[in-house]
Amino acid sequence: MPETASPPSPLPYTDTKPVGAADFYTAVNATFRFIEKEFGNEGLKRYWTELGRGYYAPVTQRWREGGLPAVAAHWKAFFAAEPEAEVVVTEHANEVVLEVWRCPAIRYLREHGREILPCFCQHCSFVSSAMGEGAGVETRIRGGNGSCEQRFAKTGHFDQPQRLEDIATAS
Amino acid sequence: MIGIYDFCGHYEWTFQWLQERGGHGLVRRYWHEAIHEDAQIHANELIIGKGFAGMEEYWDHTLGEEGGVWDVTAREDAFRIDMHHCPSKGFLIHNGLQQYPDYCDHCLGWIGPLMKKAGFVVNHEHNHCGQCWWEMKRVDDLSPASVPGELSGEADVRLHPDWQTADTHLDSYERATDPDDKLPPAAGSGH
Repeated sequence: MPETASPPSPLPYTDTKPVGAADFYTAVNATFRFIEKEFGNEGLKRYWTELGRGYYAPVTQRWREGGLPAVAAHWKAFFAAEPEAEVVVTEHANEVVLEVWRCPAIRYLREHGREILPCFCQHCSFVSSAMGEGAGVETRIRGGNGSCEQRFAKTGHFDQPQRLEDIATAS
Repeated sequence: MIGIYDFCGHYEWTFQWLQERGGHGLVRRYWHEAIHEDAQIHANELIIGKGFAGMEEYWDHTLGEEGGVWDVTAREDAFRIDMHHCPSKGFLIHNGLQQYPDYCDHCLGWIGPLMKKAGFVVNHEHNHCGQCWWEMKRVDDLSPASVPGELSGEADVRLHPDWQTADTHLDSYERATDPDDKLPPAAGSGH
């Protein structure tokens, strides 16, 4: 029987294992803490923004070419590869909505007794905004510290800007 | 969200981001403070607390999660890893990612200080192609690293035909605990 080729992944980077190693969440958290210590909170925000624009540039390209369906496909594949994530991704007419019932990073860090950087959840806003800006996609996040709602839409769709006060302090 | 399915990709990107802002010293401090002293506290507890047994426990878990192909040789006087396919460097090669000059240095960047605290030294080589070997010994054991095949037999990565080709260059460490303890090229084992 001939082999069937796998469909191309919606993710720009792929691995041979289906799910990432959860221990790495401790390094993500520690990296944020180190950069905030060295460069301050504004420096940490710059790091997130430059990571979104630089390392994740292939995501921007896919969103620019594929629009909101590509945004939805990205997050479905992304959270399928994050260990023990519970996330519902829904594509509406003008928005893609992520209902994060269980954030895999916060879950792991808590279960392993790690001190979570208080502004940890803000990284989602800064990284996603940076990934989306070159694709005409904006994001709004509400909640955090284990569960949140993330909305993605074409630039100009949202009435209000993102307020960092709407993103919970992590603990 | 910054995920961990592609952790090695943004980890490597971060090395270069730090290098451009604070030079090699900042990258070293990142490996030491963020990885050794913060992210990997579970490794510190195991290896400082249990020595060779802790190494076996730590790498059995972490390499099992990360995937890859490796062999461990655990003896009373040495702990050896032969990495035939590194899942971390392998991810970068697979995805064509390279920002930082030598990603592989990060391992000794956090493992070196840990071994120093735990009373061990490291003999190590990596070929920048996802293959390496590690031989940890107690600091008061002055015996040299094993020759190919001596400790891990046929599992010794140095016996692979692709371990060292005309295009590969080896980075070598002898009784090291610091990422900058790299031997000059001519002093490497060249096995």
